[in-house]
Amino acid sequence: MEGREEVILGNNTMNNELRKKIVDMVYKAGEGHIPSAFSIIDIIAYLYDKVIKFDPKNPAWDERDYFILSKGHGCAALYVVLEKQGFISQDDLDSKSKFKGILGGHPDRTKIPGVEASTGSLGHGIVTAIGIALGLKIRNKSNKVIVLVGDGECNEGTVWEAALVAANLKLGNLYCIVDNNGSAAQVLPVPDLPDKWRSFGWDTYRINGHKEKEIERVFKKIKFNFDSKPKVIIADTVKGKGVSFMETHGPWHYKVPNKEELELIYKELAL
Amino acid sequence: MKDMRQEFADTLLEVGKMDEDLVVMVGDISHFRLLDFAKACPGRYYNIGICEPTIVNMAAGLSMLGFYPVVHTIAPFIVERSYEQIKLDFCYQELGVNIITVGSAFDYSTLGCTHHCYVDFALLKPLPDTEIFFPASPRELNALFKQTYNNNKVSYFRVPKLSHDFVFSQEQLIAGKGIKVKSGEEITIIVTGPQLKTALDASERLKKDGVDVEVIYIHTIKPFDQELVLESVKNTKKVMVIEEHSMYGGMGDEVLRAIKGIGGVKYSFIAIPDIFVRDYGSYADICQSLGFTTENIIKKVKSELF
Repeated sequence: MEGREEVILGNNTMNNELRKKIVDMVYKAGEGHIPSAFSIIDIIAYLYDKVIKFDPKNPAWDERDYFILSKGHGCAALYVVLEKQGFISQDDLDSKSKFKGILGGHPDRTKIPGVEASTGSLGHGIVTAIGIALGLKIRNKSNKVIVLVGDGECNEGTVWEAALVAANLKLGNLYCIVDNNGSAAQVLPVPDLPDKWRSFGWDTYRINGHKEKEIERVFKKIKFNFDSKPKVIIADTVKGKGVSFMETHGPWHYKVPNKEELELIYKELAL
Repeated sequence: MKDMRQEFADTLLEVGKMDEDLVVMVGDISHFRLLDFAKACPGRYYNIGICEPTIVNMAAGLSMLGFYPVVHTIAPFIVERSYEQIKLDFCYQELGVNIITVGSAFDYSTLGCTHHCYVDFALLKPLPDTEIFFPASPRELNALFKQTYNNNKVSYFRVPKLSHDFVFSQEQLIAGKGIKVKSGEEITIIVTGPQLKTALDASERLKKDGVDVEVIYIHTIKPFDQELVLESVKNTKKVMVIEEHSMYGGMGDEVLRAIKGIGGVKYSFIAIPDIFVRDYGSYADICQSLGFTTENIIKKVKSELF
């Protein structure tokens, strides 16, 4: 397994329209985690375009696939994709974090159509996903369960409890994507992430989380199988990907741009 | 009378056979007792492992799919260790679960404080959409579980090691309703759990001393039957609360809330004081040391309520 790809820093990316929507939403809301959303937007956009089965008119459709954003603070990326796919409206994005808005700094399933689980406290969403995967298996239903965790979230003990349990229960209908944006390394490093997941009994894949072809290739490669190992995709990403001065780990984690910074961001996104 | 832990297994088996949405997950406890359930309900019993927060959190995923999950292990490991899971994965997300514990209070008297749990009522009461039951006889456990397991709330069942041995009729057992076990005019004893036996014994002894005691038994801590308590205490103006729970945040609080409008009430209680119960010995030894005895009830009634 090769190391992190340095080439993914800088350069242009896909989904810059969605990145702009994220920035505009956070600017209007006066709060939000932009870089954490930028590292996962390419993956989430791809999942909803090509992988996940859903019906925005009937979010509780029985045949849908389940997507859970376990790193709930990256929700700005999920919100703009839910808007793009017709679950929520531009008005909803415009009223993020307002008193009666349905979109908060972390997603609430009781308010937002298309959000399966309320997340925010790390280390919960992945376990919920395991419960759903087990339930689908009991019901013999072949819906997929896809959960996205952060590499920083992999500091949480429940992630590894969950990793053991999912492998033991042979939850082959479960896909976990690790947004490997280097956050853990800032605090408590989780070295050899792919080896760790593999040793916990998961089929392990590694991709560049900003390259559509790589995301596509891995989802084509993985064959759905109820009684097999759960799958983990370690997606190497860059926090703040797409705007040079936001990239990697710095003051932008929870910062809101001012008017001048907004213009600079637009410029970098080439919009 | 049937062993409480066996009634737990029998009740799950009975309901599991009737309802295919009942799924049971345990944390390496009661495994052998649940093998009949596992056999009768294939694919709906899991001994997940020694990872309580994960077991609790997984049940939320099952609940999202319309199952009625049951999670079961020792009280402190669910209520205290997995508190955030109960709060966020169920209460906040408006999902239902049945949490059935053993080993609350000091039931595991020989195992030390790691296996005690004195504050389960106090912790669970403030969480929205929780229900708290303390069924201390087999029939209570069976009736209360069947009445509530599929109501999409967080239903907590504190199953004690011992029963109070009093047999209620099915009609008397209604979730959320207290039971007037004995009528009286002078003082009201409000009791929960196996201590009903001690309270009834004390009330008989007090009768011989000329004190007429009303005994109210509570199996549902939340929602609390304020009406029954209020009606009784309005009449007696003297009340004693007995609960195997910390003196903080348990049933005593509910009684005080229920009677807040009545003036001139004398109040006394027997509960677990503000300590770790570091002694070992039997359940009876601990009851003796903490004052859960007939003699202590009589002493307190005479010294604090008259």
